[in-house]
Amino acid sequence: MPEVRLVNVTKRYGKIVANDHINLTIKDGEYVSVIGPSGCGKTTLIKSIAGIIKPDEGEIYIDGRLVNDLPIEERGVGYVFQNIALFPHMTVWDNIVYGPKVRCLPPEETRALALEMLEMIKLSARSDAYPSELSGGTQQKTAVARALISRARLLLLDEPLGALDVKVRAELRYELRRLVKDLKLTALHVTHDQEEAMSISDRVVVMKKGRIVEAGTPINLYVRPKNIFTANFVGEANFLRGVVTQVNKDRSIVEIRGGSKLVTKNTDGGVGDPVVIAFRPEFASIVRKKRLNRLSGKIVDVLYSGSIVRLKVELANGDRVVVKKALSFERPTFNVGDKVTVNIPPKDILVYPYPEEGLDRALALE
Amino acid sequence: MVSKARKPLDLSNLVVWATLGAFFTLVLLPTFYLISYVFLRWNEVRVEVFENPIIGDENWRQILKVLFFSFRLSLSAVAFDLIFGVPLAYILARKSFPGRTLLEDIVTLPLVIPTSGFGFSTLITWTTVAGIGGFLGLNSGLISLNALIPIINVPFILFVVHVALTFPYVVRTLETKFQSIDVTFELASRTLGASSLTTFRNILLPLAIPGVLSGAVLAFARSLGETGATLIVSGVSTTASIAIVRWASEFKLATASFMGSLLVMIAWAIILPVEVYVGQRGRSLKVPYRMPRALHDRLIKFERFASKRLSRIKDVVPLAVVLTTVVIPIIVVLNSVIRYWSADPYTGKVQGGVLYQLFGPSNYFNSLLRATLTSIIVALASTYISMCLAVPLAFIIERRWYGRIIRTILKVPMIIPTSSLGLSVLLLWGPGGFNLAHPGIWLIILTHIVFSVPVIVESIIAAYEGSGLQMYEDSARTLGATPYNAIETVSLPLLKGGVLTGFILSFTRSLGETGATFIVMGRDVTIPALVVNMVEALAISAALFTSTYLIVLSLILLALIRLLTRRR
Repeated sequence: MPEVRLVNVTKRYGKIVANDHINLTIKDGEYVSVIGPSGCGKTTLIKSIAGIIKPDEGEIYIDGRLVNDLPIEERGVGYVFQNIALFPHMTVWDNIVYGPKVRCLPPEETRALALEMLEMIKLSARSDAYPSELSGGTQQKTAVARALISRARLLLLDEPLGALDVKVRAELRYELRRLVKDLKLTALHVTHDQEEAMSISDRVVVMKKGRIVEAGTPINLYVRPKNIFTANFVGEANFLRGVVTQVNKDRSIVEIRGGSKLVTKNTDGGVGDPVVIAFRPEFASIVRKKRLNRLSGKIVDVLYSGSIVRLKVELANGDRVVVKKALSFERPTFNVGDKVTVNIPPKDILVYPYPEEGLDRALALE
Repeated sequence: MVSKARKPLDLSNLVVWATLGAFFTLVLLPTFYLISYVFLRWNEVRVEVFENPIIGDENWRQILKVLFFSFRLSLSAVAFDLIFGVPLAYILARKSFPGRTLLEDIVTLPLVIPTSGFGFSTLITWTTVAGIGGFLGLNSGLISLNALIPIINVPFILFVVHVALTFPYVVRTLETKFQSIDVTFELASRTLGASSLTTFRNILLPLAIPGVLSGAVLAFARSLGETGATLIVSGVSTTASIAIVRWASEFKLATASFMGSLLVMIAWAIILPVEVYVGQRGRSLKVPYRMPRALHDRLIKFERFASKRLSRIKDVVPLAVVLTTVVIPIIVVLNSVIRYWSADPYTGKVQGGVLYQLFGPSNYFNSLLRATLTSIIVALASTYISMCLAVPLAFIIERRWYGRIIRTILKVPMIIPTSSLGLSVLLLWGPGGFNLAHPGIWLIILTHIVFSVPVIVESIIAAYEGSGLQMYEDSARTLGATPYNAIETVSLPLLKGGVLTGFILSFTRSLGETGATFIVMGRDVTIPALVVNMVEALAISAALFTSTYLIVLSLILLALIRLLTRRR
């Protein structure tokens, strides 16, 4: 029952706090991703679980057992490194049997396990190859097999796909998830690629400056991020400053700078509170008709990126927002300078109290 | 490395030919002349060495005896270096702790201190009452000069000196090698269940094999060629390199040159294969270890136990080695020079004091001043000339297809015993050869150039590789700079650190060199040679003072190296 529990885990490097009282429980069989900008402490977190880094404070439990003082080699976790770290002087076979060998497993058992692993990653034919003769993706699969051969039930993935090509990365991530689910493992996956995290995880943890900002299912994090930082970091968002002018039972009205009023679903705050509203570019639309929640402006930039067109609209008050639309040739095209109206459905507007440290600092990645 | 397809336009043919010509005359010729000398005068050599009318082949038997002794000494010193140097290099490369840089400096110190000064310090420490013996309350030194270590039958003091002088080669080479190995290989091994010692045996050591080999080869060559300290502490034993010095001074030139060329060829034979092996990138030991299972399992269990319980030993013992071989001798000398300042503290005689010996009838102070002047002129002149040759040579090595060959050849002057080198230069340029100069300062300069060029070239290349120089130069060219301009305004400033480090290293090496200098110096005595002369004249206090003087001088130089390498 590999359940991982972190209680108040703290790690400092001089003045920098890499992990600041982290509390997190990863349930048995769960696939959890940790995302966050570089330097947010996600790597420190996963290394603490593996025993590579010793936290200054707090407790780490694996299967309910306190492992703080257990050396790396006795924690029994599988660890996959970003730079793959297959031993360059050993063949695929020697790499895979390394774990059982240094754990003194009987040779027959080791052999059986290794064959099974090679079968799993479909590499039986190339067991005599040296790592440098394999492609990046195959190397990483070998590394995963090496990590799993000793029946590790907890798999720690430290940016496992970071060193690979975009295409390979996209393919391999689903394979990873399938593997974890098939073998009923518990996985913690650290990545800076939020798309990767969103597409394969049961739960995503967002970190910033050594703290956990928010954790939730991918869909919830995207649609209803509780924290303004998450709204910015996960996906893309427009932010407008405003003041709450009316609070009703299920609807509130926010007046943004320049006087336009937007109807939002509801807010926690009271009338007169300064707020920031956020919305996803793809939830907004460009409309011609008069409707609820319209903001007039003019297009200042049109960018095509694959199947999507991104329109940058300067509102009457000078703020700029981005609207995304699926590319289509039947609809009228958009040109720079066009006067347009932006519409945002009330349910898609997120309202946050204006951050104490200022908007820029609240959204900052560093 | 620049791609071979493109013809480099940056070095004009004139520069290339002039550089190669100077390289051939000043470095290659003196290095290999000794061998051809032996061939050309084979009859003379045969008569003197093998068929001497009076003593028969006694000289040949002497050569064999001396060679055998030298090998025993060098091999055992290198073995010791490896046993204690590997853990120390690992600690320096992987751990961060307060005093790390200081420890690094202390390990490097014997590379910088002129060895005769250092040898004298060790001599005082172990064999006289002023050293450890006196400290422990004995009336004599702790160990007598000719006390042998059992089994290897090598005098203890000689062994200690050779360990101290070769230790840095093993430690620093391996440290750099360990640092270049990604730490995640070790972490991966640990997460797979291997203890730290098992990881070290299975992962780090096989990957670091090239570093182990080149460190061992450097240390071996150094030990084989060491003369300065060996002359002082050898007592009744004779190593190959001091035999050459002795025979050269007895005008047994044929025997000396035969022995010298044997040494050069042996050094070649050992180093060349290693160079070729190590030179191939990404080398590591790919032997799949197959050992009996019971043994394997027991070894793993022991390693697990040792990783947990015995890890202190690996930290403490190498430190103790450094402490006893490097730090204590220096402290003893600094302490003794104070105690011996006005008179011998044991007999009370003024004649035994530093002041009397320096300024008394023998007037060693005057000799010291003259020697300082000679040493500094030699060091400056040889370093300057070497620099003029080394900078274009480094560019040729990096940018021409035959660069690697030149670089491999350049290893030879760095590793051949310097007394062989001195003899070679004497025979080539001296009165018996081209008669360019008589033994004296000019011949010393010519000798020092031979080993200074490779030292400077190596540090320039170290700065060159990984600097992305070609890219910067190319971008300067796209901005309109001529090839020469690009080198002058972009490359040379970027290489400044390497050039300066090379300057200091070469200067230090020249300042401390004894073996070759002894053979070619004539009456122009350098400081390290002066120390040897003082010890032979039993002017102990004067030698104490001069050793201190050398140690202080090299500490200043070491500080300079630190300053220059840190800024990059």
